[in-house]
Amino acid sequence: MDSVLTQLAGFGAAFANLASDPATYVYLVASVFLGIVFGALPGLTATLAVTILTGFFGNKIPLEQSLIALIGAYVGAIYGGSYPSILLNIPGTAASAATAMDGHPLARQGKGGEALGLTTTASFIGTIFGTIFLLLFVWLLLAISRNITSPEKCLLALFGVLLSGTLMSEDLALKGWISGLIGLSMAMVGLDPILSETRFTFGWSYLMSGFQVVPVLMGAFAIPQIVDGMRATLLAPEPPPVGRITPSLREIGRRLPTIGRSGVIGTGIGALPGVGEDVAGWVSYGVGKAASREGHLFGKGSRDGLISAEAANNAAIGGALIPLLVLGIPGSPPAAALLGALKINNVIPGPTIDPGLILHIVAILVMASLTMMLMGLLTARVFILVLRIPRTVFLPIVLVLTTIGSFSVGGGINDLYLMLGVGAVATLMGIMHYPIAPLVIGVILGGLFDETFRRTLLVSDGDLSVFVTRPGACILLVLNVALILSQVGIVKRGFGRLMGRSA
Amino acid sequence: MRRQLITAAALAAFATAGTASAQDYPFRDITTVVVWGAGGGTDSINRMIMAEMEKFLPVGISVTNVTGGVAGSNGMVHVMNQADDGYTLVGLSESNVTAAVQGGWDQRFDFWHPFIVGGSPDLISVPASSEYQTLQDLIDAAKASPGEVLAAASGAGSIHHLNLLALENGTGAEFRFIPYGGSAPSQEAALAGEVVAVVTSLAEQAPLIEGGELRPLAMLVPGSAEIAGTTVPSAFDMFDGLDKYLPLSQSIGFAVHASAPDNVKAVLTEAFEQAMAADAVTSWAADNYYVLSGLSGPAASEVFSTLESTFAWTLYELDATEVDPSTLGIEKP
Repeated sequence: MDSVLTQLAGFGAAFANLASDPATYVYLVASVFLGIVFGALPGLTATLAVTILTGFFGNKIPLEQSLIALIGAYVGAIYGGSYPSILLNIPGTAASAATAMDGHPLARQGKGGEALGLTTTASFIGTIFGTIFLLLFVWLLLAISRNITSPEKCLLALFGVLLSGTLMSEDLALKGWISGLIGLSMAMVGLDPILSETRFTFGWSYLMSGFQVVPVLMGAFAIPQIVDGMRATLLAPEPPPVGRITPSLREIGRRLPTIGRSGVIGTGIGALPGVGEDVAGWVSYGVGKAASREGHLFGKGSRDGLISAEAANNAAIGGALIPLLVLGIPGSPPAAALLGALKINNVIPGPTIDPGLILHIVAILVMASLTMMLMGLLTARVFILVLRIPRTVFLPIVLVLTTIGSFSVGGGINDLYLMLGVGAVATLMGIMHYPIAPLVIGVILGGLFDETFRRTLLVSDGDLSVFVTRPGACILLVLNVALILSQVGIVKRGFGRLMGRSA
Repeated sequence: MRRQLITAAALAAFATAGTASAQDYPFRDITTVVVWGAGGGTDSINRMIMAEMEKFLPVGISVTNVTGGVAGSNGMVHVMNQADDGYTLVGLSESNVTAAVQGGWDQRFDFWHPFIVGGSPDLISVPASSEYQTLQDLIDAAKASPGEVLAAASGAGSIHHLNLLALENGTGAEFRFIPYGGSAPSQEAALAGEVVAVVTSLAEQAPLIEGGELRPLAMLVPGSAEIAGTTVPSAFDMFDGLDKYLPLSQSIGFAVHASAPDNVKAVLTEAFEQAMAADAVTSWAADNYYVLSGLSGPAASEVFSTLESTFAWTLYELDATEVDPSTLGIEKP
C-alpha cells in the first residue's frame, strides 16, 4: 500500500513540475495539433507522426522537452483517427476502425457533433482511468505481460480476428470470419518470419516484403466509401446537421461505467508486448457489446459502442508505455518509435531506468490528454464542416489524400496498385454484405498469428498440447472456442432455451 | 536555425574569400537514409554520428528511414537510385550484406564506400532464474540432449544467429535455434521462459543484465567484459577452437556510392574522423557498450567483404538463399 502512495505522491510532484513550466504548453499545443492532423488524414499514422518528430528533434533539444512533443503527437494522432471514422466512415488509423462502427451511424443521424464531443471527452476520461490503473498496478501488469509467450500471443491474435469478424457482420458471423480469413491469408505473402523462405511471391521482389498495412487499410476503407459516396450523392445531397458538440455532464456521468471499463481494458491490452491500440479498440468494443445495456444497439449508432472503442484506444497508449519503460520492449508500433527517441538521448529503457522519468512520462501523458480534449472540442467544430462540403468536391480530395498516405510507406507505385486492388475487392465484398474490417484486422494480426503459431510448434517440437497446458493459453483457447460456438445455430438456440428455463 | 546560421556564415565566408566555387562539396544539406527502423541500433548510431559530423561540415544532415524489402533492400535500392554526388548517404549495418543472396537487389556490397562507426560484441545469456551458472553448464546440457535446449536469436542469418552457429561448431553442442523478429523479442522470450538461452549484443542486453533480469554467461569475442560490477568471461578462454569460427563482429555505420567523386569521399572521411574523436561519440559508445571502429574506405570495405562472404555462404548452407553466392562472384570464406 505504501508503494502505491509513494507512486501517487511522486506523480503529483512530477505533474506539478511539468504544469508550472511554460515551455510545456508550447510543445504540447503544437505537437497535439500536429498529431490530430496526422491522425485525421487517412493513411498517415501515429507511428509516422512520432517518427517524423523523432527525426526533427532528435538529440537537438533536451529529452524532457522532446518527450512532451513526442507523446503529445502520439496521443493526438490516436485521437485524431476518430474524426474521419465518425464523419466519413474511413478510419484515419487502424486503431480507430472500431470507432467507425457506431460513430458513422451517429453522424448520419445528424449527431456527428455530439459523437465527436463524446469521443473527445471519453478519450480523455478513459486515459485518466487508464493512467490511475497504470500507476496502481504497473507491477502486476508487468508480471502478466512478461508471462505472455508465443502460444498466448497466437491465440490473442486469432481472438482479435474472430472478434472483429463476429462483431462486424450484419447478417452471418460466418461472413465476417471469411473476410478475416482472407486477411489472414494475405498476411502469409512475403518472406516467412521464421525461416525467411519466400511464400506466394511468384518471383516478384515487391511481394517479398509482404502486403503493407497502410495501402490495404486505405484500399479497404477509403475506396468503397468513395465509390459509394459518388453514387449516393445524386440521391442524398442534403448534408446532415452538426448538432451540439460539448456533451452535458449528465451524459458523461451516465456513460462513466463504460468509459472506466474501456479505459482499463485499453490499458491492459496496450501493456501486452506487440499488441497495441488496433486490438484494444476491438476487444473493448466486444466486451462493451456483451456488458452494455444497449448492446443490441451496437453498430446502429450506440453511444456506448462509440465510447467503448474510442476510450480504449487512447487508454492503450498508457498501457503500451509500461513494457517500453520497464522492460525496454515497446507495446505498440508508435511506442517503438518512442524507444528510438529515448535511445538517441542516451536513455536506455529497461529495469535500470530512472523511476523519476517514468513518473515524468506519465505526467506528460495526462497533460497531453487534457490538451487533446480542450483542442479536440475546438477543432471538432472545424473538422465537422467537412460534412458541409459537397461530396463531389470532397471525395476526390479524400482519394488524393489516401493515395499520398499509401505512397508514404515507401513501397513505391506498387503500393498504389495494391490499394486499388484491395479497394476493388472491398467494394465487391461490400455489395455482397461482407464486412471489410475483419480483412484489415486479419492483415494486421496475421503476421503475428503466423509467426507465433509456428514458433509455438517449434518450441514444443510439434506438440499442440501447449495450447491447453499453459493456463493463459487455455483461457484464451476457451474464449476462442466459445466465440465460435456462440454463433453456431444449434448452440445458440440451446443456450437461449437454457436461459429461458432458468429465468 | 543553427544550421542556417552556419550555412549563412559559410556562404558569407565564400563570398568574401572569393576563392571557393559554388560547386564545392557539400553545398546543400545532406540526407542519410537509414535502411532499418527508427529506434534500432543502426538508426540510433546514425542519428548520433550525423549530429556530430554536422558540426564539422558547413551544411546540415537530416536522417530518414526507408525500411522493408529483403535485408534492408528497399532503402539500399532507394539510395542506389539517387545521384552519386554524396548528398544522399545510406545508413546500414552488417545485416545488409545478405540482401543480394536473398534476392533483395542485384549488387555486391562493394557498390558502397563504407564508413564503420562500430558495433557491440555478442554474448550468450540465460534468464536470472536459470539453473545454468556457467557456459560450461549450458554446453554440457546441450551435449547431453542434442537439439533439446532452446536458444533464441534474431532471424535466421542474422549476426546473432551466426554467432550461435559458430558457438555450436566450436563446442560441438547442438541447440534448437528459435528465430525471433529482432533482438528485443528474443530477449523478451528468454525473460518469459520460452527459451533457455539468448544470443544478442551487449548493448541490447545491458539494461536487462544491470537490472538483474538476465545472467550473462560468456562473451563471444576474445576479451572479457565488465558490466554491473561483474566480469563476463570470454568463451574463447573456455573452449579451444572457437577462434576458428569467431569473432564475427557487428559493423554499423553508413556509406556513400562507391562511384562518388574522390573529393566527396575525402570531405566525408575528414568529418567522420573528426566526429569519431569527439567526446560525445566516445562517451556515448562507452555508456552503451559499443566498441568504436572508425574504419572507412578500403579498410572498411575489407571488413564488409569478409562479412558478405561469411553470411552468404552460411545462409547458402542453411538453404536460405534465393541466389547462389557463386553466381554473384562471392568467394567462399
